[in-house]
Amino acid sequence: MEAIQAAFRDIIDGILLAPLWLTLGWEQTVSRFRRTVLGPFWLTANLLAMAFALSFIMGGLLGNGNWRSNFSLIISGILCWSITGGYLPDASNTFISAGDLMNTMRLPLSFHVFLMLYKNFINFLAQLIALWVLLVLFKMAVIPDISILLGLPIVLINAAFISMIVAMPATRFRDIYQSITFGSQILFFLTPVFWSPDQMTGRRSIILKMNPFAHLLELIRQPVLGHVPSLIHWEWGIGLMFVLGAIAVTMLTLYRKRIVFWL
Amino acid sequence: MSCSVRLEGVTLDYFIYSVKAQSLRNAVFNLAVGGNLYKSQGDVTVVRALENISLDLQEGDRLALVGHNGSGKTSLLKVIAGIYEPQKGLVEIQGKLTSMIAHGAGLDADASGLHNIRKLGAMRLIPKKVVESRIDSIVEFSELGDFVRLPVKTYSSGMMARLMFACATEFEADIIVLDEWLGAGDAAFGRKAAARMEGFVDKAQMVILGTHNFGLVERVCNKVIELAAGRAVFYGTTADWVAWRNR
Repeated sequence: MEAIQAAFRDIIDGILLAPLWLTLGWEQTVSRFRRTVLGPFWLTANLLAMAFALSFIMGGLLGNGNWRSNFSLIISGILCWSITGGYLPDASNTFISAGDLMNTMRLPLSFHVFLMLYKNFINFLAQLIALWVLLVLFKMAVIPDISILLGLPIVLINAAFISMIVAMPATRFRDIYQSITFGSQILFFLTPVFWSPDQMTGRRSIILKMNPFAHLLELIRQPVLGHVPSLIHWEWGIGLMFVLGAIAVTMLTLYRKRIVFWL
Repeated sequence: MSCSVRLEGVTLDYFIYSVKAQSLRNAVFNLAVGGNLYKSQGDVTVVRALENISLDLQEGDRLALVGHNGSGKTSLLKVIAGIYEPQKGLVEIQGKLTSMIAHGAGLDADASGLHNIRKLGAMRLIPKKVVESRIDSIVEFSELGDFVRLPVKTYSSGMMARLMFACATEFEADIIVLDEWLGAGDAAFGRKAAARMEGFVDKAQMVILGTHNFGLVERVCNKVIELAAGRAVFYGTTADWVAWRNR
């Protein structure tokens, strides 16, 4: 019982330390681009290169030959993937890379998860702005739907739970980081990031229906493109929040004390 | 504000998973010298780092942790700092605690000394205004002069120790936990640091210091705990400890 309380306490303490991870996250993002010429625009360049390449290929594959037809779907997909599944390798490395800090200062475990996610979120926001500028330039811009204000928190809360769930075993068994890095790449292909859900028909469409990441992705991509996500995505998003939350708290109850020894 | 540290029957075991793993090499080196390797089954090795340690400290106490390498000093400091939670026993800490255990930890090597002072302040959740108002005295105490504008990676370990010690002691804390890295400073700084720690009595602050420097212990500390292989072989006042050593 005491351990369960300590697990909840850990999460609450992590939330209360928001001023600290907000400061640190921003500082670490800035210092990551220290002495580079493009600075944070490296992220934008990365996004653009990826989106152009995939639009080019997909345009060819689908036979309509026009990169524009899929461009906004693909670029928003890649962008939204960064906080629905792209952060997974980072997440599994959370405690390992925070090891120095964990060995010098008492901080709740959730603090490190929030810090890691916040850095990913800064990248997401920076690229989101770049995306809108680009879409305006290409005359493809749409006004985002207000439902993003609800979709984004659901996705982020899920991301926090998922990160906690993968970060703990990944600290104990170092092979997990490797398999997650590779697994998130497979997920990238299995999730409609650069292809449209209605292109997937027949038996294979099960990877759409049963893929939690597909539902989470639509919760932010649809609003970014000006649509309201359909009800099924909301149901999955909210349902996942409770399931993953329960798993995360259980794992925290069992392993919280031990993680620092696994480093 | 009142502060106290109470430990009762604290027993700490390290679980070492796959001794070969590179990431654990440090932990093994720290412990294998003196800890008791008492259980070994397959991939997991258990090292008893602390066994049945009890302490009771009040305001103004300055406790020295002495003992051979690997006797459990750093482990005990980490338990007090809340980094490790013991498997058995009770840890009760009252008051704001600052710990400086690993050398140079929390410093951003590429950023300037000034930037790092601000960062260390932020890490301790000290308001920006307060940090800004203390910067001058931190720079003065650490005697770094114009070096504070240079990146920390250009510092010697003594300079880093000065910066860390100045930050640790300048920002208000009720309990200060320091490991032996203080020894990296030169003799003059050692005297200055000792003088500052003596001053803590007036402010009713508590210092817990892991050290090999017996001179420093006698000058600064009023209580001593001597560890050997994770057990407390002596716990009492400094005067008794000196007598105990010379017996």
